[in-house]
This record gives sequence, structure tokens and C-alpha cells, in this order.
Amino acid sequence: MKISVLQENLAHGLSIVSRAVSSRSTLPVLANVLIATDEGRLRLSATNLELGITCWIGAKIQEEGSTTVPARTFTELVSTLTDKQVDMNLNVRTQTLNVRCGASNTDLKCIDAQEFPPMPVPDLSDGIQINVADLKEMIQQVAFAASTDDARPILTGVQVSLNGNRITLSAADGFRLSVRHAELSSAVPNPVSAVIPARALVELSRIATDGEQVVTMILPPGRSQVIFRTRDTELVSQLIDGVFPDLVQLIPKSYRTRALLSTASFLKACKQAEIFAREGSRIARLNVQAGGEMQPGTVEITGQSEETGHNQTVIDASVEGSSQMIAFNVRFLREALDVIKTPNVALETNSDTSPGVLRPVGEESFVHVIMPMHVSN
Amino acid sequence: MTTTRKIIHLDLDAFFCAVEEQRDPSLVGKPFAVGGKPEERGVVASCSYAARQRGVRSAMPMVHALRLCPNLTIVPARHRVYEHISQQVMEIIHRLTPQVEQISIDEAFLDVTGIDLPLRQIASQLQADIYQQLGLPASLGGATNKLVAKIATDVGKAANRSDKPPMAITIVPPGDEAAFLGPLPVQALWGVGPKTAARLKLLNIEKVGDLAARSEQEMVELFGKHGYDLVIHARGIDDRPIITQHQIKSISQEVTFTKDIRDLRLLESALLELSESVGRRLKEEKLKGSTVKIKLRWPSFVTVTRQVTLTQATDQEQIIFETAKHLFHKLWEPEQAVRLIGVGVSGFYRETRQLSFWDLQTEKDRTLQQAIENLQHKFGKQAVQRGAQTTTIRTHSAKRPN
Repeated sequence: MKISVLQENLAHGLSIVSRAVSSRSTLPVLANVLIATDEGRLRLSATNLELGITCWIGAKIQEEGSTTVPARTFTELVSTLTDKQVDMNLNVRTQTLNVRCGASNTDLKCIDAQEFPPMPVPDLSDGIQINVADLKEMIQQVAFAASTDDARPILTGVQVSLNGNRITLSAADGFRLSVRHAELSSAVPNPVSAVIPARALVELSRIATDGEQVVTMILPPGRSQVIFRTRDTELVSQLIDGVFPDLVQLIPKSYRTRALLSTASFLKACKQAEIFAREGSRIARLNVQAGGEMQPGTVEITGQSEETGHNQTVIDASVEGSSQMIAFNVRFLREALDVIKTPNVALETNSDTSPGVLRPVGEESFVHVIMPMHVSN
Repeated sequence: MTTTRKIIHLDLDAFFCAVEEQRDPSLVGKPFAVGGKPEERGVVASCSYAARQRGVRSAMPMVHALRLCPNLTIVPARHRVYEHISQQVMEIIHRLTPQVEQISIDEAFLDVTGIDLPLRQIASQLQADIYQQLGLPASLGGATNKLVAKIATDVGKAANRSDKPPMAITIVPPGDEAAFLGPLPVQALWGVGPKTAARLKLLNIEKVGDLAARSEQEMVELFGKHGYDLVIHARGIDDRPIITQHQIKSISQEVTFTKDIRDLRLLESALLELSESVGRRLKEEKLKGSTVKIKLRWPSFVTVTRQVTLTQATDQEQIIFETAKHLFHKLWEPEQAVRLIGVGVSGFYRETRQLSFWDLQTEKDRTLQQAIENLQHKFGKQAVQRGAQTTTIRTHSAKRPN
């Protein structure tokens, strides 16, 4: 293999794929990045067997070939190269990659590309086209609600369901849940559903840059994998097996109290309360007060700690129904309000032990539900 | 005008002994004491009425008790059993009223103002319930307040001294409080120890009645704020409410060694055992504390304590133990003998729990909510309503003019 690439392209490609490099694995080749000539471009791939990322960069190819380069060493080296052009030449017999850039001359010990796990070659014609901006927003609004606890693996995933021209992402960690819908530009022939590790989706939203219009999602039949493809990148993830709980039936259909308030004020109040609730129980107490005929209702947000003190914000709100006191993990509130884009948000409650619902006002496509905290006397 | 309260004080008669007599009926009528062995510096935790006739008292060193009563049988204490039975007693009391303030394993105050029966009848029914259901004798005092009710129990017990449980019931009718307390020695009042009694004696105050006759002002000048309370209490006035839930401020465990210990391994294993026991109690009480404290007593009886505040409240034995061990090594020099060692946790947070979608209770709530919605859908909003929404109507109809 004999190729020339631009330093900045190589550095960018490595930064994308290196997130899938296995940091500790018994398989040495998983600590490496595959570099291979591929139809006039250079393909960079890394995988930890659960998640694989591939990136194609432009290259001048004088001789086809492939090898795997130690990811950390290679990334560090490339980031310090100062000249524009990087020339790479592989000695196939010794699996030594010579890297030249300006005055710099490096020999890297590589592992034969044969040892690298094969990456699936998707059939792009079966793909579902999703708008990148939509998908990134959906992931941002849903993935954080997935569990990070491996006790129930299914909950570490995000359920992606496609039905007609509607795509739905849902996730829950047992204490909160997020559900977000969006429209597809073209309908899918058959309803499909898959549970994708939340981490894979977060990586996807990182590598799918806004410059691109669409991402193609492929669910190869019988393979328990999902592939997301953009023009220059591809992400492959194992799916999570198991039955995903029916989250829709967990969303309360009615409420006794509904408060409409400014999202920004509510978020700011939660951030302040969190400073005090950080130690101990992480509780923010909410007191939703119904207003009278002439005055508006209020939502009072309180955070307190025996050590640091007590913080309270009172926000004007339009309150429908009876007054309600309820306590939430303040981080859950803050994380949910962080992804609500509308200027106003509705908080719906039924009692201090039943789920609280957050809905962006004027935006039907998103709902977030949080279980309260029980405070004993 | 406030209504006259009806307060009962209940005290189980020689509780530990009564439990031991149930286990071993041959103990009935005999002088025996529950407590530690004399050679292990044991003290009397409780003693039978036959033993009391010989002068044995609780909290007395067992060696001393044996000197007073050489044929005293010593029964080892089974605190877990007593706690369990105490709970059953409290359950019986709670059936009568939720207004219960438990003040120790065998003592409680009850506010029975809401029960429309004579106080004596309520008291004897309760005494009979406890005796019939658990076989435990109890003495009760009844009055308009806690102070007089408690003293009534004590007076009743003292008046029925024999080698059998007193099972006394003493009722002080409203208005008779001062007259009832008057002839008693001042020590009968709370807060009058030997020192205060001696000072009062110098002022020619020996009976509660003598104290009641003095002016508040005079006593405040002599005893400060405490003086005011003394006079008021002496007149049989006490408006403290029943405190139904005791706010636990700290949980601690300590052990006095049978022999002074200098072996680090033994000391550390004692710390571990104490830490485990504190952790267990914390979990039982659903509390988490952020301050860990240890207490050491040297053979010289000098007692030292050290405490530290953790960054996060805990109920974990291992964290309590590691912290206690760290504190211990700050105080202890190798080879130093230790007489007593204790571990405690305080600085409690209220227990909080993140509810989950899949909790049993939330499941139930959801099923209920669903059923209500279905009914309302079928038959309209008025078909099913929450109790809270109709309480105003109910309280009105329940309130009848006297």
C-alpha cells in the first residue's frame, strides 16, 4: 500500500473512528485502526465489536492495500504533524507502515488487516432516509433518558420504531422516560422496530454533521445489527435483544394539576436548586400553587442542603387544577428542561407519588415523564 | 377555652421479668433479676417484685444485688425478644388511639381525649387487653396531663407494693391535680434530682404542696427558668402535647468489656460488630446519617469521643466501620487498655426514595387511575371522585351538636 493524504483529513478521520476503539480488550487488533484503500478513497475503521465506526477520506492511491495501525500512537503522531501532505508506505512482509510528513519520518508497527473483524457491507437500497437535523435532535431529547445500569440491558437502549411515515424514539431508565416522534420524508413499507444502544446513537449524533442532509438507516434482516450511513461515515451497532417495555402506557393520560411556565426560568431555577441539592438527596421540591381570579399561579422550586443552605425561586405560572406539592430528582428535571426547545413548558401532575409529565407547549412531538421522589416524614 | 385532655400513662410492671416468667413459669414469685453476670460487671436490667422486696433495684450492679439477696436467680437478658413483645404491646395501644408517645420499651403516653368514656374505664380496658392478649401486667395513671398521669402511675405502683405485680390504676380527676401532688415529696416531680431537692429543703420546701405555694417570681429568682417550670408543675399544670413520633437524633451502640482489652484485633472486631449493629438499626429506621462518632473509656473511667462528618449520609456498615476505625486510631495508642468502646451515627437526612415506574405501588396506583378513568368515561366525572374532594361534606355531617 502506497498512499498520500492531507494531514487535516487524516486527523479528522481518526478523531471520528477512534471513539469506537476498544480501550481494553484481549484482542490486540481492536486497539488498532484499519486503514484500507477503497475505491479511490482511504477507509478508516475501528470497532469494539459492539460499535464500529468507519470514515472515508480522500487519498491519492499509488498502490492498493490495507493494514491496521495502533490507534493511540497513530492519532498522537498525526496530530503533531505540521506539513500538509502525509505519505504512507506499507511494507507488507514486516507489516511496518512508513509515515513521512515534511522532515518527519516514522515507522509504525502494524497488525495484518486479515486479523481485523470484517465490517458488514450494507445493501443501501433497503435503507430508510432520515433527516440528519431531525435525528440529531431526537437523539438529544431521548438518549439521556436511557439507563446506564447494565442490570436491565434492554433499558440501556433507545427503541427506534418506524411505522408508515412516522419515526419514534423512546427510552426509559425506570425513573424517567422520553418519547419523541418525527415525520419521515417517505413511508416505510412495513413497520419495524429495533433497540439500539443509547451510546451508539450519541456517537451517531456526534459524527453526523449538519452539513449532510440525510442519514440512511439499514436493518439487515436476521443480523441483529443496525447500520447508519452518511456520505463519508458509517456506524454499525449491535442491537439489544429483549422486549422493550411499552412506554406509552406509562404516560399519564390525564392530570389534576397543570402548570404552564417559562422553560428558561424553570431551567434556571432548577440549576440553582441543584447547587444546593447536589449533596444528600438531590431533591428539588416543587410547590405548584393555583392562582386566584386576579393573580397568576406560581411554581416554587426549592433546593436545600444541611451544609450549604437553602435556595428558592418562585416563578409565575398559569396553573390549572388544584395546588400540588411534589419532589423530583433535580438532575432529572434539569436534563429534561435542557432539551425542551419551546419557550414555554407544561408540567402535569396527579399526586406526589405519581409521574410528572413535561410537555413543550405547542410541540406535540415530544413528551418526557419523571417519577417523583418520595420524601418520608 | 381549651377542652380538658384525657391522658393515660402506661408502664408495664417489671416488663423483662414478666416476659421471662412466661418462658419459665418456675420463676413466678421467686426473687430473680434480668441482667449481666456479676463477674462480668453486669447490672440489674429488671428485677422481680419478690427481689424488690429485698431491696434489689434496676440499674444496681449485680454484685450488689446478690449481696442484698443471696438466693437471687440471674436470668440473661434477651433484648430482641423484649423489643418484639414491646412492639406487640404498642400495637394494642395503637388500636385504641394513634395519639401514642412511646417513651421507652415498656412505657407510653396516650391521649384518649377523643374517646367518650370515663378515663378509668378506658384504662382498665387497656390493662385487661394487654393482660389477656400478651399475659403482661401493666400499671396505668390517668389525668389531664402527662406530668400528673405519670406521677399517678408511680403513686399507684408504690401503694400496691408486694411480691406480685401491682397492676395499679390511678386516676386523678380534672381539678384535683394540685391536691393530688401536694402531699408528695418534691422528688416526685420531673427535674427534681438530689441537688435540687437539697436546695429546696434549705428553703423549707419538702412536699410538692410547699413548692406550689411559692410565687413563680421567687422561684425564678432562685432557679432561673427552671424555677418557673417547678412551680407550674407543682400546681399540676403541664400543657406538653403527646409527641407521636420521636425524632431520632442519633443511633449508637456501645459495649463495656468484661475485662479491659488492649488487643488491637479484638478492639477492631468490637468496632466492626458495633458498626454493623448501628448500620442495621439505621436501615430499620430508614435513616442515613452523615456524622460518625466513636467513644472510648479507659480503665481510669476517663471517656473520650471523636467524630467526623462524611461528605454523604450513609447507612452502610462498611463505611461506618472504616470511619470509626480511622477515628479510633487517632485516639488509641498501641497497648492502651480500653474499658468501653462505642460507635454512633447522627446528622440524619430524611429518607428519600426515587420512585420507579415499575414500583408495585405505582403499578397499583396506575391500575386504580385507569379504572377511575374508565368509570368516569362511562358514567361521567361525578361517578368517581377522590375522598379529599368530599371531605368538607363528611366533616360537616360527622359533627353533631353536643
